[in-house]
Amino acid sequence: MSDFDPRIGRVMGVYALALGVLYLLFGLMEIVGVGGSGTDPIPIPGDLFGGLAILVVAATYLNGVRGLFRGEHVGLSFLIGALFLSAVFGVLYLLLMGADGLSYLIGSSDEFAALADFRPEIWFFLLSLPLAYQVWKLTREVTW
Amino acid sequence: MSEVLGEEPEVVLAERRYEAISRILETVVRKREAKKLTFTDILDHVFLHRALGIPIFLALLYAVFQFTFSFSAPFSDMIDMFFSWLGGLAEEGVMPANPVLASFLSGGVCAGLGSVLVFIPPIFMLFLALAILEDCGYLARAAFVMDRMMYKLGLHGRSFIPMITGFGCNIPAIMATRSIENEKDRIITILVNPLMSCSARLPVYVLIAGVIFGSSYAAGAAVFSMYLLGIALAVMMALIFRRTLLKGLPAPFVLELPRYMIPSPKSVILHMWERGKWFLIKAGTFIFAVVVVIWTLSTFPWGATSGGEIIENSYIAAFGHLIEPIFRPFGWNWQAAVALFFGFLAKEAVVGTFGALLGAGEEAVDTALASAGWFTPLTGFAYMVFVLIYFPCVATIGIMLKELRPKWVLFAATYTLVLAFIVAFIVIGVGHMMGME
Repeated sequence: MSDFDPRIGRVMGVYALALGVLYLLFGLMEIVGVGGSGTDPIPIPGDLFGGLAILVVAATYLNGVRGLFRGEHVGLSFLIGALFLSAVFGVLYLLLMGADGLSYLIGSSDEFAALADFRPEIWFFLLSLPLAYQVWKLTREVTW
Repeated sequence: MSEVLGEEPEVVLAERRYEAISRILETVVRKREAKKLTFTDILDHVFLHRALGIPIFLALLYAVFQFTFSFSAPFSDMIDMFFSWLGGLAEEGVMPANPVLASFLSGGVCAGLGSVLVFIPPIFMLFLALAILEDCGYLARAAFVMDRMMYKLGLHGRSFIPMITGFGCNIPAIMATRSIENEKDRIITILVNPLMSCSARLPVYVLIAGVIFGSSYAAGAAVFSMYLLGIALAVMMALIFRRTLLKGLPAPFVLELPRYMIPSPKSVILHMWERGKWFLIKAGTFIFAVVVVIWTLSTFPWGATSGGEIIENSYIAAFGHLIEPIFRPFGWNWQAAVALFFGFLAKEAVVGTFGALLGAGEEAVDTALASAGWFTPLTGFAYMVFVLIYFPCVATIGIMLKELRPKWVLFAATYTLVLAFIVAFIVIGVGHMMGME
């Protein structure tokens, strides 16, 4: 028996699957360090631990897909956990971008490479916001 | 009993106790509706997950250290700029009237103490991040997920809470071990606690990682790797102690998990301030005294050093050359050796020593250290590893003497020093094998 409307669950499941696969691909690229310069639309830094961290986000999204398709709470749990991690890393890299901008403003850095700082984690965080809105609608009644 | 019950007796007792509580509650409490699903249930399913629990914890820890290292950089730069300006002002204004005082103000106070105070932002940001994790109820979960792994390794799960506290400072962490009832578990936890990288070591990592890796993500990753290495070594040493010196089974761990909640900004800031203010107090008292000693040793005899200009003729250089051979195999010079020596007193003193010895003045200590070329990526990384492991600071030794018998304290001081040499040698050896300089 499903805990919420499986039709909504299926839509969220597809979205979570897409995000999970994206995180997985970009996580692997960060680990391998395939790169991507600051002029690319999505620069991919060679960052071993950063790559491993977003593989964890990918695993959390992907773990929830089956539960979401069945409309089960367990799927929603993984989805909320993954959205939380997406937000942590998205906001983290946005803050780091702000810190780089501040360094440039006070003159301790020669250039503000805003585009190079715009890591995939920020894009994915923005992409996860519609899903977060859907989850919020589903869990409005839930208390802490 | 364990064989008959199929579980540790303490765990069974705890389960039975909670079952009894539930039965009593069912009879005396009338609920208006069935228990609703809460966010705590939802989130615990993921954060306490058997496979994902530990990776999620490590990922969050990585985020904490990236935030600490990278986000604090411009704020540290501002403090650095202030002390550089102040140092220049002192030199210009006081030099003609009193050269010794000018040298003390610029080389001792501004370069030495200033080089420690620039680490106020990363230390406060580390405490801010840890306070958020603690206040939202996650840190207790981290101890819970680590308990599974630690129990399999023969360690006590409750040991992990003092270990996490050790990220802030080893002193409250060692005091927190009083909650561990089993004496052997408690001794093991105290013995390995100095391996947990306290915030006093953070300035050293941030400085050296910045010097050898620049401001890239690699520098943040190098800092994070120190914390991972600290955890790995603590677990490994605890396992060795459990199998050799302090044999026995760890007591099972029963932990009541708090509800998740959105932390209040006031409580988070208070927690951050409570933990961070000791750094300011320490910097203003103990570290300041150490910096004065270093400045005195590095500028006298005044005539021979030309007022601290020719540091090679100073008392500190003579002492540095005396201990340098011990550290030469790692590729560290006498200045690095002296910094380690003063780090015995307090780990922040390592940075203060570099500041005073480089007489950073107009330059930031990291820029001056990078220009001096004292460290290659390999020797710098090995230096960070050595600072992580070697000898607990004087204050930690003091609290250990209160909690343990002197023989254990002596043992802790000795084994950490020996381990530091071994691990640093391994780092250098592996680096050479990989073709690094």
